[in-house]
Amino acid sequence: MYMKINDLYFKYENSAVDNLKNINIEIDKGEIIGVLGESGCGKSTLLRIIAGLEIPYKGKIIINDKIIFNKKIFIEPEKRGIGMVFQDYALFPHMNIDKNITFGLKNFSRKEKREILDNMIELVGLKDHLGKYPYQLSGGQQQRVAVARALAPNPSILLLDEPFSNLDSHLKDQIRMDMKEILNKSKTTCIFVTHDKEDVLSLSSRIIIISDGVIKDDYSVEKMVDII
Amino acid sequence: MKQKNNIFLMLTSIIIAIMLIPLIDIIGELLSKPSENWEHIKEYLLLDYISDTILVTIPSMILALIIGVSLAWFISVYDFPFRNLLKWGLILPLAIPPYIGAYTYSGIVSYTGFIQTFLRNTLNIEANPKFFDIFSINGSVFIFTIFLYPYIYMIVRSYISNNSASIIENARLLGEKGTGIFFRIFLPISRGAIVAGTSLVMLEILSDYGVVSYFGVQTFSSAIFSSWFNFSDTNSAVRLSGILLLVVFIIITFEKLLRGNKNFSQTNSKIRQIKRKQLGSKSSFFVYFFGLTVFFLGFILPVGQLIYWAFLSYKDVLNIDFLKLIFNSIFIAIVSTIFIVIASLIIGNSTRLSKKMTSKLYSKITLMGYSIPGAIISITVILFFVDLDNILNFFIKHIGIQNINFTFSLSIYMLIFGYFIRFLGVGYQAVESGYEKNGKKFYEASKILGKNDVKTFFLIDIPMLKNAIIASFALVFVDIIKELPLALILRPFNFNTLSTKVFNYANDEMIIEASIPSLFIIFVTIIVIIFLNNMGRKKKKNVYENK
Repeated sequence: MYMKINDLYFKYENSAVDNLKNINIEIDKGEIIGVLGESGCGKSTLLRIIAGLEIPYKGKIIINDKIIFNKKIFIEPEKRGIGMVFQDYALFPHMNIDKNITFGLKNFSRKEKREILDNMIELVGLKDHLGKYPYQLSGGQQQRVAVARALAPNPSILLLDEPFSNLDSHLKDQIRMDMKEILNKSKTTCIFVTHDKEDVLSLSSRIIIISDGVIKDDYSVEKMVDII
Repeated sequence: MKQKNNIFLMLTSIIIAIMLIPLIDIIGELLSKPSENWEHIKEYLLLDYISDTILVTIPSMILALIIGVSLAWFISVYDFPFRNLLKWGLILPLAIPPYIGAYTYSGIVSYTGFIQTFLRNTLNIEANPKFFDIFSINGSVFIFTIFLYPYIYMIVRSYISNNSASIIENARLLGEKGTGIFFRIFLPISRGAIVAGTSLVMLEILSDYGVVSYFGVQTFSSAIFSSWFNFSDTNSAVRLSGILLLVVFIIITFEKLLRGNKNFSQTNSKIRQIKRKQLGSKSSFFVYFFGLTVFFLGFILPVGQLIYWAFLSYKDVLNIDFLKLIFNSIFIAIVSTIFIVIASLIIGNSTRLSKKMTSKLYSKITLMGYSIPGAIISITVILFFVDLDNILNFFIKHIGIQNINFTFSLSIYMLIFGYFIRFLGVGYQAVESGYEKNGKKFYEASKILGKNDVKTFFLIDIPMLKNAIIASFALVFVDIIKELPLALILRPFNFNTLSTKVFNYANDEMIIEASIPSLFIIFVTIIVIIFLNNMGRKKKKNVYENK
């Protein structure tokens, strides 16, 4: 098993009840998992916990046989080697897309960085936009840069937080297809959260449904199609 | 995001400790046995200090409130000829520190001054000299009103212009007219902004030393200085400071209660300006006349007078010593501002990242400095540095070093430290609003991409806070250039700044010679006001905010 979450509990400081309860997930390498749920159900919190941005009060997370969180261990987000695409992309506005994409590359020569940049630009299809700043790109293009930035350091897992929520409805179908192609090409294990069933059906191989901080269902996308 | 070892929180704790340690000294002094002088002050003078302080503060506050609020209302809601000129012109009196205003007006209204000469020679009116006696409580009230009302005007105008468009337009649609909207809508919704602006005016008056000492009014600030300088009575100065500090805390608490939880920094990105109503010709004339009179008294007349005096005195004043004054002022302002901006960035980062109560408390302590009158900070800092010298000298003698003697209490560090305590809140507020605007998402993105807190701070936070840092720098810099009481007490021997030179000239009856350093201070302040205003406008187009 590539990633394991065991018996995870989380509560925000100002919350009276647990925001996530008894979360158990096992993920194989290369799987694309869609986490589906209503707003406020705890799905984004789950991503933030995996990324190390929030700390649960109980549970265990293992990625590639390495414990990144348990009662005694907490690996800081910058040392986890995880990629994340934020809901509003969080591209650094003072850096052009080249610098945004290569930001997370450590211990690489200039030449190696250039090669990775070229590969990423190729992967997300933004060759003509090198050197541009985030504000000069459309929403869809910004999203691709965010994906390229997250993939460039070759993360163990890619996390996507509501990846299509900021896009116009007429763009969504195309971008979902593009994203699927990028994820398939990169072969990265991916967890993405959404409240939109269409996103899950078009992208993921497995679906986890969360409601009120608890996993209600966990099944393949084929089964979900049958249910619908 | 939670963190294990937050270096910024650690640094913040150190900065806050450095700020608070001097206060311990003042508390120790308060608990000690009162001096003989204190009994005399308590018996014969304290009541006068209290009454003079109230008689200056309350009327100035009320008048500044009436002028500031009414002008903010006219400018925000109505259109009339030359509105744009007044809109910006009415801010300009803020560029003139009240002590410079006081010196200038003392010349303008004197028997040989512009006004009485004009009345005598042109209109043939021999005015009653009592009417022009500016060296009085009434004179102080006039000066504070005319040079401090812009605080209220600016805060209320900005709040009302950016937040009330739909409310005022709805009131109009429901049939409410001008005065009705003013009393039933405008005043209640802008209550918080009015209270915030008025409190600022009040604190400025309580902190002033230049005006009241020149006009011979015995407020608390002047009493603290007089105990310190004239009677060398530290104990009484500290006791008076204690009372004033208590009053300031009561004002701040009262202000918070009145203001509630409203925040007056503009964070809403969807600002819709009020559709202004065209005023009729009579009303236009009245509003224009009122606005122009205030602008004339608060800026045109004093600056015109200073320029005239500058022509009379430039040959005597513009010399190598004057260049040294400029250098001293700019040097001390730049050095202090750099410390303040760096500390603001550190405190801002730690309070943004930490959800702990301590970091909220740190934020409040940081902001507190600006509320404490300069006289109190001066005394606190002197006591602290004298103790520091004693401790260090005792320590090095104890370890056998005899030939070194620390005298930090006579150095420029004392003045820089005083500015640091007094203006850290000003710098911090500007930086904090920048942090708030950026939020935590860029920080989190950087962390996930493998950068630690320090690298994120330098690679992401600082470049993204560029505008906030510039604003913070400009605001603190100009406040330090204008500042008088701290510079007067804490400067090293023979070290003069523009403000202390203006004070010295004025007190040596050389008001004409004070004009050039005064104009320089005003000029620097105006440049900063224009710069910050342009930055505010450009910000809307800034690439950082396009997202």
